[in-house]
Amino acid sequence: MTDKQLDEVLEELGREHRAIDAPDSLQRVLYAAAESRKSAIGKPRMQFPWAWAAVAFLLAVVMVAGAIWRSLQTHQPQTEQAHSLPAPKVSSGPLHSSPVTARQSVEPKAEPVREAVKARAPLRHSSPPDAPTSSSLDAFVPLPASEGLPTAAELSIVRIRLRGSDLQQYGLQTPADALAQTMLAEFAVGEDGLPRAIRIVR
Amino acid sequence: MFERLRRKPLESELTDEELHRSALAGRGEAIAALYKRHGGLVYRFTLRMSGNASIAEEITQEVFLALLTQIDQFDAARGSLSTWLCGIARRKLWKHLEHSKDALFDFDEHTAAELPCTNDGPAELLLRQEAVFAVRAGMDELPPLLREVVILCALEEMSYEQVARILAVPVGTVRSRLHRAKARLAGLLRTEMADTEGERR
Repeated sequence: MTDKQLDEVLEELGREHRAIDAPDSLQRVLYAAAESRKSAIGKPRMQFPWAWAAVAFLLAVVMVAGAIWRSLQTHQPQTEQAHSLPAPKVSSGPLHSSPVTARQSVEPKAEPVREAVKARAPLRHSSPPDAPTSSSLDAFVPLPASEGLPTAAELSIVRIRLRGSDLQQYGLQTPADALAQTMLAEFAVGEDGLPRAIRIVR
Repeated sequence: MFERLRRKPLESELTDEELHRSALAGRGEAIAALYKRHGGLVYRFTLRMSGNASIAEEITQEVFLALLTQIDQFDAARGSLSTWLCGIARRKLWKHLEHSKDALFDFDEHTAAELPCTNDGPAELLLRQEAVFAVRAGMDELPPLLREVVILCALEEMSYEQVARILAVPVGTVRSRLHRAKARLAGLLRTEMADTEGERR
C-alpha cells in the first residue's frame, strides 16, 4: 500500500469518524450541573448597567450622609472632659506604671514647703473637699530629712492625707495657722522606702 | 442598552469565552451549547483512544464538568477551548489507561457510520471497505502515543500546532510521531492485504 492510498483510506475513515456525535444524555447532566451553580453563586447578577449605576448612586448618598453626620458629631461642644491630675514637674527619666504609684525622677529644685503650704491655703476654702484642683500642678520640694541620702534612681509617688503638724517630722517648718489643718500631700519615695520630696496637693 | 434588552443573543452567536462565562454564572443553556460545539470532538477522541463507549462518555462528562470547576485554568489567549478540552480529555484518558492495563479495544463497529456511496464498482468498493477496516484495526494496534496523533491529525484534521498544544509537545515531535504511525500502519496493512490475497488464492 502506498502513502497516497493510506491517506485516502485515512480520509475516508476520518469522514466516518467525524460523523460520530457526542451522546445527548450528557447534555442533560451538564445542563443540570451548570444550573446547580446558580444556587451556589446566589442570586443572578444584575445584567444592566443602569441598575449598577443606581446601586453606585445609593452607595454614594449613604457615604456622603455618613460624612456629614461625622462632621456634625465632631463640631458638637464637648460636654465634659475627664479631669486628670497632671503629672508632677519631673525631669526626664524612665517611667513605670503600677496600680497605685507612678515612679518618676524628682526635680531637685525646691522652694521651702512653708511657702507651698501657704500658697495652698486660699484654695482650701474655695474648692470642695475631694474635688481635684489646679493646685496639684505644683512641683515637688525636697525634704530636708532626705539630705545625705543617696540619689534614688526610681521614685514612687505616695499620696497621704496628713495634718500640718505632721510635716515637722520631715524637717519642714509649718506655719502656726496650718498646724491643725488637714492636707493632702504626695511623697516621692525612693526605692529604699525613704521619702525624698513632698508636694502639697491641697 | 435598549438594543441589549430587546434582543438576547442566541447561544450559537456567542463565542466560546462568552459561553464559558455564562456557564460559570449558572446558565445551563451555555454549557449545553458548548457541549454541542465541542462535545463531539472530545467524545470521538476518547472513544477512539479507549475503544469503549462508556469510558468515553464518562471522560467527556468529566471534561465538561471541569469547565465549570477549573475556572481559572482556561486561558483563551493560550489556545482555543477545543484544544484545552482535548488536552484535559487526553490527561484523563492517560490516567485511565495507566490504571487499566488491559487495553479496551472492543470499539463498537455499529457506532461507526456506513461508508459513503461512490461511483466505484462493487469490486472496488469491497476492496476499499476492506482497506478501511484494515486501517481501523491497524490503528487499534498502534501504541497510544502514535494512535492519538493519527486520530487528531488524520481523522480530526487538526493542524500540527493544535495537536502540539494538546499533547504538550513540540510541533516537530507531532510530525515525527505521525510519520512513524503512518509507516507502521502501512506495514500492518501490507501484511494484512498479503494475507487476504493468499486466502483468496
